[in-house]
Amino acid sequence: MNPSSPVHSLFSTRRIAALAHNTLLELVRMRVFYFILLFALMVIGSSLFTVNFSFQEQFQVLKDVGLGAISIFSWLLGLLCTALLLPKDLEDRTLYTILAKPVPRFEYLLGKLLGVFLLIGIAVALMSLVFAGVLGLREQQVLAETARSTPPADLAQALASIRASAFQWNLLPGIALIYLKAVLCATFTLLISTFASSSVFTVLVSVVVYLVGHVQGIAREYWLGGGDASPLIKVLVALVALIFPDLQLFNIVDEIAVGTVVPMLLFWKITGFGVLYTLVYMLVAQVVFSTREL
Amino acid sequence: MSTPAISIRNLTKEFAIPFKKERLVAVRNLSLEVPEGEVYGLLGPNGSGKSTAMKIVLGLVTPTEGTTAIFGCDSRRVESREQVGFLPENPYFYKFLTALETLLFFGKLCDLRGSALKDHAYSLLKTVGLENAADRRLGGFSKGMLQRIGMAQALIQNPRLLVLDEPTAGVDPAGSREIRDLILQFKSQGITVLLCSHLLGQVQEVCDRIGILHHGSLIKEGRIEDLITLENQTQLVLENASPALLAELEKRAREGGATVIGEGRPKADLEQFFLRVTQFNS
Ligand SMILES: Nc1ncnc2c1ncn2[C@@H]1O[C@H](COP(=O)(O)OP(=O)(O)O)[C@@H](O)[C@H]1O
Ligand SMILES: [Mg+2]
Repeated sequence: MNPSSPVHSLFSTRRIAALAHNTLLELVRMRVFYFILLFALMVIGSSLFTVNFSFQEQFQVLKDVGLGAISIFSWLLGLLCTALLLPKDLEDRTLYTILAKPVPRFEYLLGKLLGVFLLIGIAVALMSLVFAGVLGLREQQVLAETARSTPPADLAQALASIRASAFQWNLLPGIALIYLKAVLCATFTLLISTFASSSVFTVLVSVVVYLVGHVQGIAREYWLGGGDASPLIKVLVALVALIFPDLQLFNIVDEIAVGTVVPMLLFWKITGFGVLYTLVYMLVAQVVFSTREL
Repeated sequence: MSTPAISIRNLTKEFAIPFKKERLVAVRNLSLEVPEGEVYGLLGPNGSGKSTAMKIVLGLVTPTEGTTAIFGCDSRRVESREQVGFLPENPYFYKFLTALETLLFFGKLCDLRGSALKDHAYSLLKTVGLENAADRRLGGFSKGMLQRIGMAQALIQNPRLLVLDEPTAGVDPAGSREIRDLILQFKSQGITVLLCSHLLGQVQEVCDRIGILHHGSLIKEGRIEDLITLENQTQLVLENASPALLAELEKRAREGGATVIGEGRPKADLEQFFLRVTQFNS
């Protein structure tokens, strides 16, 4: 027998795909997708409660509730699933069996993370479909009613204004940003779990990071904008602002929901920011995990 | 001489104890080699450092001092794990996967794929006697079945070396005998095996050589016969011997300068008895 071992590929997309697929399968078999039903109920419910409003108000409520719920659900899903994965593999010692195969640790992390990204992607897509479906249905109803009650002379304009306030393709960049935000949050959750010892700890810290991420913009403005803060505080605030992601940026989605046209440049800037932070968190997670005692 | 399957040199592992200054020494200056084709048993009481030594060999734990290598390839390198299958202590696998899916998953981690992988997975299930449980989820598996799927998983990439941590712990006698037979079968195929156990009877039946760990140090090592044979004694087992014959033999022994130090009826051991009874009734 040839004593020299076969050539080992240092990076195998097949191994990563196997790990990602397995992660997705685990989450699917945990029946996490059932929460989509909850989402559908919320959106349909909010469309039923607003039948007495004007159609502009109806559509606006639907968009606010729909996008808000997609945002919260995708964040929570990413957070909880990620927080579960690593500590569970460690506790159950399934990690030993995996890493005893020729699998580099970064491939393991990457596979887990990609599995969660896929899961969030599928969830966001499904929720968006439900949301667009309910909105489209309401739109058709309102269009039919208006066609019956409006004199023919004004009809074309009335229908056009209804269409303009219903589902618009410019909602898609908003949904893309919601997805990116959930991915970013899942990644720092993974980073936390590489040094945490339990899922509960990971979830708590990750929620704190999420909250700090939302208020850090205000703190930054307050302390760094005014000149009277001590240098120490300024450095501290700057450090916090650098380490924690500025999640306030993603609030642009609220404006997209009310129909504000967001410049493409701003959209790409936020996307670039999100991708950069995600990559950096991944890198740090890998560094921490590669030195961790199992 | 060819490269040993496993070489451990001056290995020491210390664990930090939380909130305390001193450190726990799990493995102390351990050196040993397992040549290719041998079945080596690492014995020792609980907490003597057997599992820790194995995890270091597999690169799962970093040593404080010393080096380990698999077929000459340093354990810290990912490539060293190409040639080794590992059965961890109390193996847990993903409960949501079926037996077949588990094997396919681990096969893919070894860069195997396609129908070749699938055929191999089925043949391994047959080898470990789980062919009827291929599509059952591991969540409902018994301890013995988990141990067997663990064996199959370790063999998925046809490794030249198997590292088995307590392969028969918590398994009933029939199951552990099957595992012992499997190990003997691997040995006949030329696979090197490093196993650890505190069940001495089984080690004795399969191992070529053993080492005894105590508080992390290797205190004895060698071939089993050499270690436990009492060189100056001989045993004689007779069937249907009359008291007169026994008295006659004893007299002759004294005349020949030997001492009779014991006499009694040999008993089948409890394990053999248990197996005979349960097999008869099943
Ligand atoms: N991760 C760890 N952290 C701290 N101590 C450990 C760790 N793993 C093992 N030990 C300690 O090292 C010693 C040896 O453990 P182990 O190798 O599991 O023994 P064995 O397998 O022979 O029963 C034990 O005292 C155990 O408590
Ligand atoms: Mg042990």
